[in-house]
Amino acid sequence: MPISRAARRATLRLGAVALAGALLAACGSGSSGSSADNNGKVTLTIDLFGTFGFKEAGLYQEYKKLHPNVTIKETSTEQENDYWKALNTHLAGGGGLADIQGIEVGRTASVTQQMSDKFVDLNTLGAKDLQGDYSKAKWAAATTAGGQTLGLGTDVGPEAICYRSDLFKKAGLPTNRTELAKKWATWDGYLKLGEQYKAKAGAKSHWMDSISSLYTLMIGQQKERYYDASGKLVYDKNAAVKSAWDTSVKAAKDGLSAKLTQWSPSWNQAFSSGSFATIGCPAWMLGYIKGQAGTAGKGTWDVAPLPGGVSGNWGGSYLSIPKTSPHAKQAYAFIKWLTAAPQQEKLFKKQGSFPSNLGAIAGVQGVKDPYFSNAPIGELFGTAAQTSPVQVLGVHDRDVDQQITNALGEVEQKGTSSATAWSHAQKGIDNAVG
Amino acid sequence: MTTLAAPQRTEEAAGPSHRASRPRGGRAGGHQHGGRLAYAILIVAALVSAFPFYWTIVAATRSNAELAKTPPTLLPGGNLMHNFQQVLEQADIGKALLNSLIVSGAVTVGTVLFSTLAGFAFAKLQFKGRNALLALTIGTMMIPPQLGVIPLFMVVAKLHWVNQLQAVILPGLVSAFGVFFMRQYLVQTLPDELIEAGRVDGASTRRIFWSIVVPIARPGMAVLGMLTFMASWNDFFWPIIALSSQEPTVQVALRQLGGGYVHDQSVIMAGTLLGTLPVLLVFGLLGRHIVGGIMHGAVKG
Amino acid sequence: MTLTAAAPPRTARPPALLRRRLAKLSPYTYIAPFFALFAAFGLFPLLYTAYVSLYRVELQTPGQMQWRGLGNYSALFGDDYFWTALRNTFTIGVLSTVPQLMMALGLAHLLNYKLRGRTVFRVTMLLPYATSVAAATLVFAQLFGRDFGLINYLLGLVGVQPVDWQSGTLASQIAVSTIVVWRWTGYNALIYLAGMQSIPAELYEAAELDGASRWRQFLHVTLPGLRPTILFTVVVSTIGATQLFGEPLLFEGSISGGISHQYQTLGLYMYEQGWGFFHLGRAAATAWVMFVLIVLLVLVNTALARRRTRKETAR
Repeated sequence: MPISRAARRATLRLGAVALAGALLAACGSGSSGSSADNNGKVTLTIDLFGTFGFKEAGLYQEYKKLHPNVTIKETSTEQENDYWKALNTHLAGGGGLADIQGIEVGRTASVTQQMSDKFVDLNTLGAKDLQGDYSKAKWAAATTAGGQTLGLGTDVGPEAICYRSDLFKKAGLPTNRTELAKKWATWDGYLKLGEQYKAKAGAKSHWMDSISSLYTLMIGQQKERYYDASGKLVYDKNAAVKSAWDTSVKAAKDGLSAKLTQWSPSWNQAFSSGSFATIGCPAWMLGYIKGQAGTAGKGTWDVAPLPGGVSGNWGGSYLSIPKTSPHAKQAYAFIKWLTAAPQQEKLFKKQGSFPSNLGAIAGVQGVKDPYFSNAPIGELFGTAAQTSPVQVLGVHDRDVDQQITNALGEVEQKGTSSATAWSHAQKGIDNAVG
Repeated sequence: MTTLAAPQRTEEAAGPSHRASRPRGGRAGGHQHGGRLAYAILIVAALVSAFPFYWTIVAATRSNAELAKTPPTLLPGGNLMHNFQQVLEQADIGKALLNSLIVSGAVTVGTVLFSTLAGFAFAKLQFKGRNALLALTIGTMMIPPQLGVIPLFMVVAKLHWVNQLQAVILPGLVSAFGVFFMRQYLVQTLPDELIEAGRVDGASTRRIFWSIVVPIARPGMAVLGMLTFMASWNDFFWPIIALSSQEPTVQVALRQLGGGYVHDQSVIMAGTLLGTLPVLLVFGLLGRHIVGGIMHGAVKG
Repeated sequence: MTLTAAAPPRTARPPALLRRRLAKLSPYTYIAPFFALFAAFGLFPLLYTAYVSLYRVELQTPGQMQWRGLGNYSALFGDDYFWTALRNTFTIGVLSTVPQLMMALGLAHLLNYKLRGRTVFRVTMLLPYATSVAAATLVFAQLFGRDFGLINYLLGLVGVQPVDWQSGTLASQIAVSTIVVWRWTGYNALIYLAGMQSIPAELYEAAELDGASRWRQFLHVTLPGLRPTILFTVVVSTIGATQLFGEPLLFEGSISGGISHQYQTLGLYMYEQGWGFFHLGRAAATAWVMFVLIVLLVLVNTALARRRTRKETAR
């Protein structure tokens, strides 16, 4: 069956067009994402993960108004793990980097200890003057032993609990946040309330989204977690890790979790479906909830302080400039503006990301969020930020975290025994640390 | 890097297969009429093949919340434009489509040209080491190029080609299958006498190649071109390593969308729709010929 | 252009000796473009992979290589997840290849009847092949959703409890295999169809005269005639299954192939080692193990086929 003449011609034509296109592009494309032309117009690319919320809060547009010559182009990856992998690949290959890259706090040790030659020392661009705007710890985390500052802090992640007051009401639980805070002053109290909820709520709705969320909350309350102050990996000897693990495993066995994987599609859909009634809420999660639950969810959510006496920290980020950026100066001007107090304040009000800039923290004290039933989020997260410990961070902090939460997922979703799952986590960590 | 997965599947069905002993084109269909059951099964199979496309359209025109409903919605809704907008905000599909066209186009043209050149030499020219080189080519045909990505990445990183299209194009041009395919094709379709006649007329090998070999090889080149284009368009492993969301091909953009921020199923489906549409279009226009090409490639090769 | 005047006239030919030399060289210029690329982007990476696998190389610093001997291999063989990945690759390979080829054979047989609208059938069945791995997987991931997926809904209609297509070991492997089966069945059906059409019609006519039923014709005429084609598709599908990567990666976006590595294939394992943990040396070792595995599989396949053919001729 010889192929028809028409097809041959069509294919050849297609090939010719494609080749012409390829040649054109080969001539015309400078493949760095950012560009500047003669009129001083600059496109700055910014590559982020998870939920920074700059765009959603309208900050790019605002900057464009102030600087008409600058266009901001954002790309974003949902999971920080995926983002980090790609970032490393691009750093190694010297291509595919944006002018500005977001860095999660758990990666800062890796950046300052292993990649200081890949990022611009912001002090050379004048960042020294900004040091006073941040807490010592926030600044120090992005600064190398040699004094190079490789990132400007955006937000921190003081922890609280977000809950569905409508579901609480249906299940006959108190919905008042102060009352709840009293009831779940301890983690035991929180889990007991979960038992009550479970008894009333039926099979379709669960107390919490996942035990990995519970674990992360608890571990966020610790100063020392996976590494000790000398930089040694100690996760498997740390009693706090063990205790957070055990509590989480027990919660799974007790059927308190909706068994969702955080950041998975079904987790996202569950924000509107009511599959879970509470979720661990670092401040930036507020914006995520708004995004996932949408306008229909307004007023059904509320926030209350974290069990366990002190708050904890979950996440928070920095903005860095890779050395490959042809517009380091403009990029610096932009991130300086983006992380300045007024913008951090605005970001908190719109998206819930809690400021790391000390100047902004004072300004958000009185903020209430109508989406979360008018909860006084400014005061609540302000207090939380003050009581959360400064964490010791190591090079593989996020990897360890990832492997442990992954193993917890195994426990709740597959019924794997605690000991087996823990050995899996250890194996995974061995692999990652390699 | 690209071409192996798919087109590989065609070749040797050919090699050892029996040349048709009945007159070609004599009969369009098979030997018997299909019964009702045959039709029923085929219709079901066709529906199963097509349903995911339909579902893509349904999901792309809905919202995430609508998709989380029970019972699920099976009819298109009115959210398509909104979703498209979201897609364009989150992934540069326009650029991705252009990049994919450039990459697949260049890979196709290059592969077809180089394969025809080498295929001709292996089929009709005498030279030292011919058999050894041909054996080497055939021997490596089965090896997935995926296995070489580590050194490839190290080289590309050294050249600072990460995120540049040539990092995907150049390795994509290596197609041992293409060479073998064209060789087989020319062995069967190009009579030695024709070349001899050309030589007698005093034509150089180059003349012979362009004015005798290429015209005869054209149908084979068209088949190889179609297979190469599709394989390259759909290539995944190497592009996600070598490129990024700043300079994506369609597949890289789809992956980006799958893991992008507002993780909204309807938006992901809208992106999938945009990324698949061009291929579907080509299929709508050339589908018959592609089917013919694959079957032809399978028997002939 | 005074120079041209000095040059020999165009019609003049180079001396015979030179011409012969050129003629000897000329075949190489035809294969040179291919082999230059092949050497640089095909052969070199493959061989260099073996070299890299003996070193500790990290993604962040690909220039620094530290001798490790067989350390990467012993680490590999000491890692339970490697064995999990090997097992998964095998089970997913069987789950995807066997039904795929059987269905393709059946469909090809049906397509070989005289049919109305046969082009429509063929084109529709080839549609999945035109879809990319990424697109297909994103769609199927949704259809296989645990809580809101269409497939679980349909199962619910006939009284089946919702299946956890993500974290269940067998369930997730079936789901991933389904994507492969969906994409390749139509394509293989066409390959088989082409093979069937080249079986001489006289054989069928003879069988019909002997009073053989359609089923017996299929068994005794079609299948033997298709043997080389079947062997070919088996080999190719086996190789395809060994390097399966995109489907398990995008199914949940998990680089470890699910929460307990339940559907992590060797391809994904290699990617995790290299671009998840940044251990390029170990990834290279994985690549070489895969290479050896593929060579072995191809050898076994062809040996089996040869033995069958020998038996056949002996009969």
